Parts: sequence; C-alpha cells; structure tokens
Amino acid sequence: MKWLVPALSALLFCLADCATGGSETGTGASPQAAAVLVDPPARTGVPTLLIAMPISPSFVEVRKSLVSEVQKNFNIHTFAVGPETTAAELAAVMQATNPVCVVLMNNATINLYYQVQTSNPTAQTPPAVLLMASFVEQAQARLRRATGIAYEVPGVTAFVHLRSVIATPVNRVGVIYRPPFRAFIQRQTSLAAKEHVELISVSVPNDVTAAGLREALHSLARKSKVDAVWMLNDNGLVRDAEFVDDTWRTELSDAKMPLIVGVPNLVAPGSSLGTLAVVPDHEALGLQAANLVFDLSDNDWRVDAHPVELPLSVKTVVDIKQVRSNFGLRPDALKHIDKALE
Amino acid sequence: MTRLRNPRRRWPQPIVWFLLGLGLVHPYQPPRRAMAQASKPVVHVFLQLDAKSSIVEKTLQQHLPELGIVVFGRFRDFEEGLTNGRPDAVLSITPVLQQRGKASCLQGQRGGKSTEPYLLASVNQSLEGSLAGKTIGVVDLLGHDGTQTFLNNLLKTKDIKIKRVAKIEDLLPLLEFSAADGIVLPSSMLGRLLERTRLVIKTKELLGGPVGLPAVAVLNPAVRDVVVRSFQSLDVPTKRLLGVDTWSVP
Repeated sequence: MKWLVPALSALLFCLADCATGGSETGTGASPQAAAVLVDPPARTGVPTLLIAMPISPSFVEVRKSLVSEVQKNFNIHTFAVGPETTAAELAAVMQATNPVCVVLMNNATINLYYQVQTSNPTAQTPPAVLLMASFVEQAQARLRRATGIAYEVPGVTAFVHLRSVIATPVNRVGVIYRPPFRAFIQRQTSLAAKEHVELISVSVPNDVTAAGLREALHSLARKSKVDAVWMLNDNGLVRDAEFVDDTWRTELSDAKMPLIVGVPNLVAPGSSLGTLAVVPDHEALGLQAANLVFDLSDNDWRVDAHPVELPLSVKTVVDIKQVRSNFGLRPDALKHIDKALE
Repeated sequence: MTRLRNPRRRWPQPIVWFLLGLGLVHPYQPPRRAMAQASKPVVHVFLQLDAKSSIVEKTLQQHLPELGIVVFGRFRDFEEGLTNGRPDAVLSITPVLQQRGKASCLQGQRGGKSTEPYLLASVNQSLEGSLAGKTIGVVDLLGHDGTQTFLNNLLKTKDIKIKRVAKIEDLLPLLEFSAADGIVLPSSMLGRLLERTRLVIKTKELLGGPVGLPAVAVLNPAVRDVVVRSFQSLDVPTKRLLGVDTWSVP
C-alpha cells in the first residue's frame, strides 16, 4: 500500500493545482517558471490579451503555447494570481491594461473575476475565456460574457484510447459518481454512445462509505458485466490510501477489470490499479485556447454565443504489464501511447 | 507581466523534490536542438504520422546513425527549432518546406507518386456542395495564417472557419463532439482514423490536392552528401513509418 501514498498525494495535488487552485501556486513559482513568464514587448495600436493565472508548471505550459500562437496579433499582459491576490488587484490590472479579452486560469482566478463583476454589476468587463478550472460550464453561468474550455477529459476520449490499447472489447464502461457529477455523467453518456460505448453509471451518496463504494463497484463488475471501469477525479471517491485499497483495488484486482484513471500516478506497474491514465495535454490546450481567442476576435467578441468547448487533446499513460497479462495488447498500440510503463 | 507580493517565496525543498519525483514538476530542460549530438548533422523532422513523435525519433535515430535527429510533434516547436536550432536539414511535407522557401533534395514517393490526395471526412454523410460557413478541423501544419491558406487552397474556398489541432489523433474528437463539420487529413491517415472510431465516416477527395509527400531539404550544403546517403539507405519499415517507399532526387 506504500505506493498509494505518493499516488494519492499526487491526485490531491493535481486536483488542487489545476482546478481549485488558490493555495501556494501564485507565489510559489520556481525561478524557471518565473523566467518563462516574461511577456513579449508591447506594441502600440495592438489589442491586449490579459492572462490571469497561477504560476505553476501546468498553467505555465498552457500559457506558453497560447502566447506563442497569439503574440503576433495581441499584446500579452500576464497577471500572476496567488492566494493573496484580491479582486481589487485584478480590477486594477484590467483597468490599467484595458484588454480586449481576459484569459482566466483556475477556479480561484475565476472567482476573483466574478467578484470584480459583482462588485460593479453595471460596469462593462472584457470577455473572458475560462481555462483549467473544474466544471467551467457552471462557472460560465455565473459570469457575464464568458466562455471557455472544459478541463475534465471526456469519458469517450478515454474509452477510444482504451479500445486502441487493449485487445478485449470495450463496449460497456462502468462509472460511479456522486450527485454533484450528475449533469457531467449525463453528458458523458450521450457522448460515449456516439462511439457505441454504453456508459453504465451508478450513483452513490456524497458521504459514501468504503462498504458502499465496494458494493457499487462489485455491482458494476459482477452484475452489470461492464468491460472497464472509469474512475472520476473526485476526491470523495478517492480519499486516502486505505480507502482506495479497501475499495477500488480490492474489487477491481479480483475482477481483472481495466481501470481508466485521470491521474498518471495511479498507473504503476505492480500496483494492479490503473490500467490507463488519460490526462489533459496542456500544450495542445494552449493551442485550443488560441483558436478560441481568434474565433472570438473574428466574431466581434460575442462570447455569449460561444458554448464551452470540450478539451480535444490528451496524453496517455499505460500499465503495459497489466495490459499484457490481463487484456492483451493490440498490435501497434505502443506507437500511440505517450508513456508506456512496464 | 504583473507580479504579486512576495514573489520570491518558494516551496520548501523537500516538497519540490517530492513533486519532481512524482513527475508533477519538471526541472529545466535544455532546448531540444542541444540534445542532438553536436558533431553530427542535425535533421529536424515535422510530419503527421501514425506514431508518437518519440517513437519516430527513436526509430530514425537508430537507422540514421550518422545524423542527429530531432522530431517535432507540433508546428510551433518545429518553427522555434528552425529559428533557434539552426538544423542542417529538414524532413517535412512539401508545403511546409515551400513555406520556408526550402528546396528539397530528396522527394519521398509512395506507389510511384510524389504526392497523395487529401480527404475531407465527415460523419454519416459526405460534405457536398458549398462549404461556406462550415467549420473544418485540420492539423496545425503551418501556423494560424499558413494553415488557413493551405486549407483554403485545398477546399477551394475562403469562407470556412478552421479549427487547428496539435496532433492528427485530435481530429477525431472534433467529430465526436460535433465541434467541426468535417476534418481534413492525408489519405494515408484514413485507415488509422477508421480503426479508432465507430462513427460512420464519409470522405471525399479534395480538389485542391494532392499534396507533396515527405521530402528532405538540406540547409547546410556541406552535409548534403551524408544526409542524402543516410536517408537513401533507410530500410523498408522505416521508410514506411515515414509514409514513403522510396526517395527520388528532384
């Protein structure tokens, strides 16, 4: 079980880092990260894009890609957001830079923008592009003139990748979710159906116990006869090492069921837990964000007409040893995996 | 850039080492150019292939021992590499070389042809008639403006919205999510797309094609011979990986 300690720490770190944010990110920048956040020289007569973001590697990677795409068309002003940043500071930067659009990364930054808007409801604020936050659609609904790109990897993307790696069929995938994820799961069900994958979802209470989760997993694996299980990035279902060991690992190692996870560190040869990790490709996310900015610019910044997009690009990590032993490895699969662990 | 208060506050060393160990943060890495062996002529490769860049790079490096190979998966990295890395030669498809004003000294051929058709793929029915106002996905081969021009020429229209993606595999989600009406891809990539998806894919060949297959341009004349000799001696599986079966000298 020792392997689970770093893995769970990683999961919690990732969730905090990329979605909820607001902890140590803004002021904890490494010197390298700070060095790459130098904005290109501003030019007169060129519109400004304001990027408000925490300084940590994932965000820096997205920014780098975004800036490389849009810097010919926009001046860039980066505003580093940390736990001490206030809405007034963000408002001041917006006033000073007068951006045509503001890119907001993570939930804490979006919350600051929400405070800016609510503190002066009649004031005109620039259109916003929301990135790397959990449930962007919900955040969008609270804001005026906002759109963005969801951060959660759609299940169908993971299922298609799993199908191209393992030899056994992937027609029915089980997922366990808590009530806050209900709308998300409904959307995933229809998306998965497009690829002829039936998503079998089981709802559990917010305060699900280990026994309750085990029962739900058992039901999926034995009664619903699913071909694989998808673990959501929900820390209510992945609480600590002991909890994971008592639930996911116990049930799925017996059932020899492929498990799709959203954190690479839950895939570790010898651990018999994650089979495939599917995680956002941050460099590609920067390109997608740039496309979105160009689209909005071409459309007179009519943001409200632009629905939140789904992320297009992912990276994959596969436990090849587990795949070979339990499910069979498809020919040529290794050519298409970002990280193969054996 | 606007910095916050207390900008030099750092994470405690043990946490940094812990995260480094987990692979969640990455130490500084030198530019990729520096990774190629300095004593060998350096070839930059930028192609849409049915394999991850790391696999292509490893394979080419094994089979081209006299050359230093750097494979780029994305246009911006390739562009940056050309500017900062000053390669001795470049392997890419003809439009990419032409955009840079580079003449090829080796032209890849497949089935006796130096070009291949490009396809417009869509779900359930092929996109017939005017494409005006349609959203079309394509791999970012030439940057924002260059890719738009490339696609305009292929589709013989200017009134389209393009969605550039970083990798060939990212085209499928555009169709799955109904984020694009169609996608453009080389005909050699259709098999892999059909292998991955259960969507009903319909295609039509683009009037503005075909497009040149991978070609080699030598930027440093002093290394021309070794570059040409090396690529000409590639074995069949490696050439197939690159999407060619032979090389011709234009």
